[in-house]
Amino acid sequence: MALKELSSLEKFLGLKKHNKYSTQGDNKVPVLQSNNGPVVGLLTVCSHLVNEAKRPELLGSSTEHRAMVHQWLEYRVTKVDGCGREEVKTVLKDLNLYLQDKVYLTGNCFTLADALMYYGLHPLVVDLAVHEKEQYMNVTRWFDHLQHYPGLRHHLAPVVVLRNRVYTSGHH
Amino acid sequence: MKLYISEGNPHCLKVLAAVEQTLVQCDVQCVIHEERGGPFLSRPALPALLLPSGHHLFSSNAICQYLFETSGQKPHTLINQWLEWETTELQPALLQALHMAVLQGKATEASKILQRPLSYLDQCLSKGTTPYLTAETVSVVDVVLWGALHPFLSDSSPALGEWKSVQAWFERLAGEKACQAAAQRVLPGKSLEALKSFMQRQPAPHSSQRRGAESCNSTP
Repeated sequence: MALKELSSLEKFLGLKKHNKYSTQGDNKVPVLQSNNGPVVGLLTVCSHLVNEAKRPELLGSSTEHRAMVHQWLEYRVTKVDGCGREEVKTVLKDLNLYLQDKVYLTGNCFTLADALMYYGLHPLVVDLAVHEKEQYMNVTRWFDHLQHYPGLRHHLAPVVVLRNRVYTSGHH
Repeated sequence: MKLYISEGNPHCLKVLAAVEQTLVQCDVQCVIHEERGGPFLSRPALPALLLPSGHHLFSSNAICQYLFETSGQKPHTLINQWLEWETTELQPALLQALHMAVLQGKATEASKILQRPLSYLDQCLSKGTTPYLTAETVSVVDVVLWGALHPFLSDSSPALGEWKSVQAWFERLAGEKACQAAAQRVLPGKSLEALKSFMQRQPAPHSSQRRGAESCNSTP
């Protein structure tokens, strides 16, 4: 999972050289051998790739923005990854409330946090029934926006969203 | 900028030590456990930092990183890597260990759970050439790891005999004014006991979720 995600991110970032990754430990933590030694951990490797692609704005454009990106990246690996059935509901409910007035996770611009949250939420959103997609309509709207974001989707199947319902019911 | 913390919450140790260490101007408010957190979270989380823009940070590591960057310490790969390790490897083990030690009184079993992360930390410190984890001076990584380990290590320092490098590093940080002030305010007296009411509010750790933590657990 993590390795596919890394390869999709590489393509999204337009990196010409495709890296080889290994994993370590029981949690299959991804490891990249860089010129300066090993880079360990999904988030750390992703941030490293973003810097290699010279797209620092994807990690946040100010100290405050960077802290928010950091926080949502962390949320992805601690709360979304490996969450049980009950926790899925909490995650979706919280994100739905949070995304109510936002285009992207950290505000008005796309960051690495959106990319990794999209990859991480995909398996959960795929399983949602139509009425659940409507129930979490802000998540669904954000998700649909992200799956159409140029060059991001790659390894993932598109999720069908009844756009008119999700979009019109978003207006008050 | 406002920082909300509560007594007896181990995650507040880090952020308070970071405030003291970086001297970033910040209004620190002590609140009752569940009074506040990010406005959209079902489970209110502390610490929480209200940023000048009106956004909330609810992750203690993101808050620490923010404070250190504000004071001029730029993030880099090694820092990211340690912070990620703390969140994904150390914290699940710590949660399980604290649950055992504080709520079930099984201190010995609890320290077994921490063996693997502590031995990793010890290896890195003994191979390193600097007194602190990433540099000659205290970085966000030292403060975060000190805060995470303080409840455990300050209570059971004899258990540290095995990990000489961790012990030396931990004592170096425990001697820092910033760390002393934070510990005094958040976990006065015996650390593990002070955590009791906090731990009672946490959902029981489920080991199936983090296989890494489970495999360190020698109890059947």
